Amino acid sequence: MFNNSSKIMFLTILMMGSLIAISANSWMGAWMGLEINLLAFIPLMSDNKLMSTEASLKYFLTQALASSVFLFAVILFLLNTGKNNANLMEMIILSSLLLKSGSAPFHFWFPNVMEGLSWINALILMTWQKIAPLMLISYVIFKPLIIISIILSSFIGALGGLNQTSLRKLMAYSSINHLGWMLAAMYNSNIWLMYFLFYTFLTFSMVLMFNMFKISYINQLFSLFFHEKSIKFFLFFNLLSLGGLPPFLGFLPKMFVIQSLTMNNQLFLLTFMVMMTLITLYFYIRLCYSAFMLNYYENSWMTFSYYKSSNMKLLLTFSYISTFGLFLTSSLYFFF
Amino acid sequence: MLKIIFMVLFLFPLCFIKNSYWMVQSFLFFISFIFILMNMYSNYFMSISYMFGSDMISYGLILLSLWIVSLMLMASESVFKYNNYVNLFLFNIILLLLMLVLTFSSMSLFMFYLFFESSLIPTLFLILGWGYQPERLQAGVYLLFYTLLVSLPMLIGIFYLYKVTNTMNFYLLNNYMFNYEILYFSLVMAFLVKMPMFLVHLWLPKAHVEAPVSGSMILAGIMLKLGGYGLLRVFPFLQLLGLKFNFIWISISLVGGVLVSLTCLCQTDLKALIAYSSVAHMGIVLAGLMTMTYMGMCGSYTLMIAHGLCSSGLFCLANISYERLGSRSLLINKGLLNFMPSMALWWFLLSSANMAAPPTLNLLGEISLINSIVSWSWLTMLMLSLLSFFSAAYTLYLYAYSQHGKLFSGVYSFSGGKIREYLLLFLHWFPLNLLILKGDMCMLWL
Repeated sequence: MFNNSSKIMFLTILMMGSLIAISANSWMGAWMGLEINLLAFIPLMSDNKLMSTEASLKYFLTQALASSVFLFAVILFLLNTGKNNANLMEMIILSSLLLKSGSAPFHFWFPNVMEGLSWINALILMTWQKIAPLMLISYVIFKPLIIISIILSSFIGALGGLNQTSLRKLMAYSSINHLGWMLAAMYNSNIWLMYFLFYTFLTFSMVLMFNMFKISYINQLFSLFFHEKSIKFFLFFNLLSLGGLPPFLGFLPKMFVIQSLTMNNQLFLLTFMVMMTLITLYFYIRLCYSAFMLNYYENSWMTFSYYKSSNMKLLLTFSYISTFGLFLTSSLYFFF
Repeated sequence: MLKIIFMVLFLFPLCFIKNSYWMVQSFLFFISFIFILMNMYSNYFMSISYMFGSDMISYGLILLSLWIVSLMLMASESVFKYNNYVNLFLFNIILLLLMLVLTFSSMSLFMFYLFFESSLIPTLFLILGWGYQPERLQAGVYLLFYTLLVSLPMLIGIFYLYKVTNTMNFYLLNNYMFNYEILYFSLVMAFLVKMPMFLVHLWLPKAHVEAPVSGSMILAGIMLKLGGYGLLRVFPFLQLLGLKFNFIWISISLVGGVLVSLTCLCQTDLKALIAYSSVAHMGIVLAGLMTMTYMGMCGSYTLMIAHGLCSSGLFCLANISYERLGSRSLLINKGLLNFMPSMALWWFLLSSANMAAPPTLNLLGEISLINSIVSWSWLTMLMLSLLSFFSAAYTLYLYAYSQHGKLFSGVYSFSGGKIREYLLLFLHWFPLNLLILKGDMCMLWL
């Protein structure tokens, strides 16, 4: 990706688009930022593979649709100031932003697009591309629609990932589930930003691993060979962390969301989300089987070693933080 | 408490030194002995540091964890001998110990929950990593999801408590009395599954059968006690609801205890038999605890300590036979008296402890539990008598079948018990019979 200098330009424009969208003080400005962001991501996606062309086409169609609906609603807003049908416009804006962020029930494009992308692009799609829509959603919280989206996102994110063998699709569904949590965090306070940062961190360390070992399907995980079993063991803690199991870092944002929702008496919504997260945990843990079963035989086909590379060091550092980070952060949390 | 926690914490680097297995084990014993000398606890939290402290209930269970973990290392020498990822094993065990010590010494309900959940992960790794058969995956998933399914609602319940009371401290929570049914169920169910109560016990025999000996020891010795400990901690502020709903759990666990005892009598797997016998014993513990009487609470605590030592010892014995015969089937493990006469003594002593024979702590626990349960309702006498009878019956079945009779003709060569194994069994059995001389440690904490 970085060998092609035009991609660096598009990457910069991509970031600029998001920044314009989140710092705009009018909806028009936000729309402009979203468009810039979209048009910069399209060329980034293509890497001379058939799948990526298909993915970029799908991405373009859905995002362009969402943008036009968004623009339509913004203009409606402009025309209808002072009238009391603001709910309708809010709903249209919100649904177009939900479509942009890929949360259920507007999620159908998301796993399909993910399937055609390289891991780095998938990472951008799962994390950076969510910033602008989520930030804009946090301006127009229309509760009935948001609740529907929370429930559906956590539900679809959990059930969709169950039967997947492709890791990209699996990560996409996990992203949808986490999006449900982020929307829930947004529902009554600003902790969604923190949830988003933690989610980005954990996803980054997962994608870093998948990208480094060129893993796309579950069976590749099972034949992934390490000279030192304990390294594989440690690396797969990341998945448990992403699933939000207690001793790992991923539990922290979930804890904050649970706390904020409890404080607002959303107990049943919360119970539902927690149960759905349990299902996501099931498919995460399915990926970890080969790592956690130490006496498990893999093909030792991979003859070259990654241990010395700087990527591996980065990966190990990230895994370390995502495994033991909870203890560090929680002690900080209690001090301040 | 921090001195103990830090001492455990600083064992981590030691785990990664080559051939440090016995050094780690010795240090664990050292920590246990120091902790024994720290015994000055009362029924309030004492030696408080940061957010950790210890009262009598915590003290007993922390000591039990330290002790069982030291014995786990002693029992799983084969991991060291065959170098079965020994450093990772040590790391895992010490992590588990740390989580358990933190669980038992947390003064806040939330921290308790956090470490309660965290202790599940090293146990899962122990089963998945060092188990014997491919079925260990299923066992691990059962263990994880049975526990998480009910403990995540408990987290919501805990935050609800925080919202209402603005505190998570056990001692301050005791000032409240709640009358909110869903709160009761969300808080209690997690512990019931962990205990495990009959009907939600299915994960336990699976986990035991697939776990290595260390996993079985920690499961039977400590993990089951986490449930009982949690219940002892939450019942002070759930009394009102307890009066309403506790009859359900008492009935289920008493009837279930009898049914599980009958299941025990059908087992051919040594470990499964001992696992089911733990379910039956935990049934009595649960029923006694749920009566919310003085004798019930103290008796359940006493039986938890006793059962931790005794069933862990029985799992060691099962493993000692397994290492020699390569099977846990009772059809192969029979007539062992001919092979290991001295080991038969330990089989006898620990079996008799399991059926609550006189000088053991089990007896003390069972007497006070039976008293409390009968005082709760005389109708329970039927189930209790059946339970006591069958408890003796299946333990006798275990002992007689494995030790007496004709030996299996396919056994070719055989080695007798090692000093390590005798010491291991002695260290299970000795506290069990010594502690009855200091019964007030177990019975007078409330």
